[in-house]
Amino acid sequence: MTEPRNPGMSSVPQTAPVHTDSTSQAVEMDPVEYTLRKRLPRKLPKRRNDVYVNMKTDFRAQLARCQKLLEGGGHREICVHGLGLAINRAINIALQLQASSQGALQLAANTSTVELVDDLEPEDPDEAGEPMTRTRNNSAIHIKVFYPDPQ
Amino acid sequence: MRNQPVNIQYPSSPLTEESSTQNGGDTPVTGGGGGPSNIHPLPEKLNSPHHKGGWVRGHQKDGGSYDKLMPKYITAGAFARARAAEVSTMLKAVRKVTSSCQLFASLPNHMRRRAMSHNTKRYPRRLRDMANRLREKSLQACSKKKEQTKRQSRKARRRHGNLLLEFNRRQRKNVWLETHIWHAKRFHMVKKWGYCLGDRPTYKCYRPCYRAMSNHCLLQDLSYYCCIELQGEEDKLLASLSQMTSKEAGPTFAAALCISGRRQGSVVLYRAGHYPSQPLGPVTFLWRPRVHGSTHRQLWIWAHPTIKQDLLPELQSVCQCCEAVVPPVVPLVTPAEVIPTPEPERRPENTPEAMQIHRTKRKRNCKDASGPPAKKILGDGKRSPSTPVTWRSNSTGIVINDLTMEIVRYRLIGPQSHSVLAETLEAATDCDPSTLWWPEHCKDESKMNLHRQQVDIFNILKDIYSSGELPSGTVLGLTVDDPRLTLPTKRVKALPCVKQLHMSLMLMLVIQAHAMCLCCVFLSEVDEEKRRELMLRGVPELCCQSFLWERSIRDNVTDNKISEQELNRMRSEVLVPGSRLSPTPLQGRVPILLVHQPGKQVGHEMNSWGAGWDLLLPKGWGMAFWVPLVYRGVRIGGLNMSLKHSQNKASPHFPHDYPDCPAGIRFQEEQEAELLDKFKRRPPAKRTNYIKHGCLAPFRCPWQQLAEEWELITREGREERKRDSQTQTKTGADTVTEVEMTSHPDITVTKPPSRFAVLRNRKSLRLLSGWCRPTTSKGQRPCRVGEVPPLDSSAATSFLTEHGMSLVWVRLSLLSKEDLRLLSNKSDCSSPQEPPHKNHFNSRLKCRKKGSKKLATTSSSDKTEGSGSDLPSASEPNLTSVEDAKSSSETPTDLIFGLWPDPLPSITSHCSRVTLGWVTQGDFSLSAGCGEALGFISVAGLISTLLNQPMEHRGTLLLRNPTSLSYRFAKINIEV
Repeated sequence: MTEPRNPGMSSVPQTAPVHTDSTSQAVEMDPVEYTLRKRLPRKLPKRRNDVYVNMKTDFRAQLARCQKLLEGGGHREICVHGLGLAINRAINIALQLQASSQGALQLAANTSTVELVDDLEPEDPDEAGEPMTRTRNNSAIHIKVFYPDPQ
Repeated sequence: MRNQPVNIQYPSSPLTEESSTQNGGDTPVTGGGGGPSNIHPLPEKLNSPHHKGGWVRGHQKDGGSYDKLMPKYITAGAFARARAAEVSTMLKAVRKVTSSCQLFASLPNHMRRRAMSHNTKRYPRRLRDMANRLREKSLQACSKKKEQTKRQSRKARRRHGNLLLEFNRRQRKNVWLETHIWHAKRFHMVKKWGYCLGDRPTYKCYRPCYRAMSNHCLLQDLSYYCCIELQGEEDKLLASLSQMTSKEAGPTFAAALCISGRRQGSVVLYRAGHYPSQPLGPVTFLWRPRVHGSTHRQLWIWAHPTIKQDLLPELQSVCQCCEAVVPPVVPLVTPAEVIPTPEPERRPENTPEAMQIHRTKRKRNCKDASGPPAKKILGDGKRSPSTPVTWRSNSTGIVINDLTMEIVRYRLIGPQSHSVLAETLEAATDCDPSTLWWPEHCKDESKMNLHRQQVDIFNILKDIYSSGELPSGTVLGLTVDDPRLTLPTKRVKALPCVKQLHMSLMLMLVIQAHAMCLCCVFLSEVDEEKRRELMLRGVPELCCQSFLWERSIRDNVTDNKISEQELNRMRSEVLVPGSRLSPTPLQGRVPILLVHQPGKQVGHEMNSWGAGWDLLLPKGWGMAFWVPLVYRGVRIGGLNMSLKHSQNKASPHFPHDYPDCPAGIRFQEEQEAELLDKFKRRPPAKRTNYIKHGCLAPFRCPWQQLAEEWELITREGREERKRDSQTQTKTGADTVTEVEMTSHPDITVTKPPSRFAVLRNRKSLRLLSGWCRPTTSKGQRPCRVGEVPPLDSSAATSFLTEHGMSLVWVRLSLLSKEDLRLLSNKSDCSSPQEPPHKNHFNSRLKCRKKGSKKLATTSSSDKTEGSGSDLPSASEPNLTSVEDAKSSSETPTDLIFGLWPDPLPSITSHCSRVTLGWVTQGDFSLSAGCGEALGFISVAGLISTLLNQPMEHRGTLLLRNPTSLSYRFAKINIEV
């Protein structure tokens, strides 16, 4: 169980005791009889200056998009979000932004834990099995990239 | 008369001369008995006046051969009589001028003038009289016709009653949906499957519709889907329905979650007991949740209208429901529109007389009537009242009801569809007791409890950000207020209402220092818990119940709908204009069902794309919900968009992607006829020469022949393998490996009797999918290693003995530049080209134009066989993207330029690359960002290809358009 580094900043309430039993169930299940389908992570409402980083889009394109927002878009600050595998890339983008701005930009990073849902569909021939859902947690990072106030 | 020579003269002088020459020199072929059989001897006579030898017909140059048939003697009397008759017919033919057009045509070109028929003085004088007469005649005819078709004035036609009459007349052939008029104003309508359906909007919105599907919401009217209701004991229903399904192809009617009524299920139905062969088509089904533990269940099967004609008899035979219940006997189960009832709001029969009576009656007592009578056709207007819609079985007690057009079904696609619903619908409010159904229910505390629970869940829906977050197939029953009451004055875009929790996250990110946000988090904890519960478990079974299942309530709601006019009157009486009607009218409570539609479930990319909700309504309420939904900023899609939706979702679309179903076969035939027609409309010089492109059947996919040929190839390959060791020579450069191929001159002769089938066995599909996927994609598939046995010849053989004649549905995505570079290890990679084929039919077409000989059909096949066999065929097959179908009326000798005549040669070896299958739909996919195609591939062909490919390049195929010669690399995906 990944505890967020800064509990005060965690966005998703920790309801660990509720789903630990479901995960333990999932460990016991027979892998052949179930099909695993992952649901998408919960989407959060998105403002114009939010950038959700993924692993599919080209890195340079994502970086360029952030730069455009900061320079052309007239935003004083943007938030770069990354989940799981994309955490690395989110950090990378934020650092690149900072480096290219010659110190004008500042970073403020937060981490959180995101709850993900998996569906387990039974494949048994007598069809008595209930489909199960299990939850697991994944880490996420939210980096605020901003120009500090002049005063 | 058209082929007369220009120098003919009409006055009778040449005729007399003609007859004299005939009498003199001509000799009839059959003596005197021939009679006046030949009507047009005159032009030919004039054309060839020097033919002394015989009576020559047609344009044959060697007319001298008739000499042998010359009679020895002539009876003068009979001969003269025959001539006289012929002369008289000739005279008649010459004198008679049927129309001015012919008069005009009889003139030589240089004497024709513009507007001759208008101004008869432009005719030469000798023809003027005749022209005048003709003109008068035509004028008379014109005036007569005008009198006959005198239309009502536009004002009269647009009058409400007359307009309805006209609409009802136009619906007689093709059923209109309730939103027809709305659609007809904005869409290109097509008549399909007995319905008038919107195909695509008249405005340009391909990309906006795609964006709506992936970002907001796209609305479709799916009311044309047919609903068949089955009632009976649960175990008996399951026992009879299980004959039509197979557990190998996925969950069936008996799946635990579906049978509880909490989820909608989908299944492919087969003819009873024929599982791998003879499928009928895919259906979705919905069980009504159990009522107090009773075993009597209700099941709705939703099927495409083209399946219905096959499905209904099959269901009847399976359930042994042969006894049709005649509608008047059981008025409870008859649809409302077929029995004229004394209630004023029941729709009367749509005969003109009834309409007329009704109209006058309304005029008389429009004050005391509660509202204008609804005369619109609701439900299936095409069905005659005597057609049975209910079948009952005495042995099993199962009742089958045909609920076609009884329930309106709208589909909302997109991540925001639930917020559109949440904004449009408002849970029904309590009201004073009355005789209507909802006030009755308000008295019952348990029903109100249920209603409150359902409303709670519905309110939680607003907190969800995307429709894809819910468990797929979730069902929620609800009773809502009339959505017309909360219609916004302007079209607004429904957006998710961002609740405290989400805001708090945002706030925290923005204002880090403020610790006070935490309290919001705790405040919304309860809501959050409920939302989690909904996301994980779905809707509890109790809340899936809806009153929409009850016919009596459905009919009650339909009958008591407030008309638009009445509603507007009530609105105008509101004290503050534009404000809401304060006591909601009693009639405005509608039971609905919300059914979640899963998005993309297979594959690893774009998961749950295109998820959404289906909204099920009682009939008659279609427009009352449609307009409010449209006012929430949704896009509207037609048939065309539903095709794109399923293509992006990587799910087969019915009937396009079901070539083994009867409906799919019919569809293919229609499509071929249509495409062939389109092809023939082009001038021959501008048509694509498909023969030269090596495309054997550009407008259809001969699946059966493909499956048979591959069956034969594998059988021969097996025998060969027995004889000697495997002779696989790998060519160095890329994935091209040579395969021993023998020519099959007798392919069309040896036909195994079995029909091809589409592989739907989940286990086999999973196996196949593992085989054709070389690279692991980041550990996305759990326990893959243990699951898939390695592909070798023994595994392939055992697989092929099971599914030799099968096709498999695949998704192909074109490779990007980087993939290509990886593939060939070179910076520049050119895709292979198909050498242009020779058109052997060209010369024959020319020959036929000369009109000399009939075609011999046999020579075609062996010629191409020869050329095909000596080509070293590579393992990479070609997939011509074909959009297919075939016209049966065509005779095999009927040659069309650029198309192969009918007995096709061997398909697999026709091109330089072996054909594996064809693409049924292909386009640039906006969701994948590259070209994507869906099609079918022969299983035998696929396995033999995979066996010959090196491990790291497995699953790479070649794809070619029928109109081009260059192949493109594509990656094969089989997704389970």
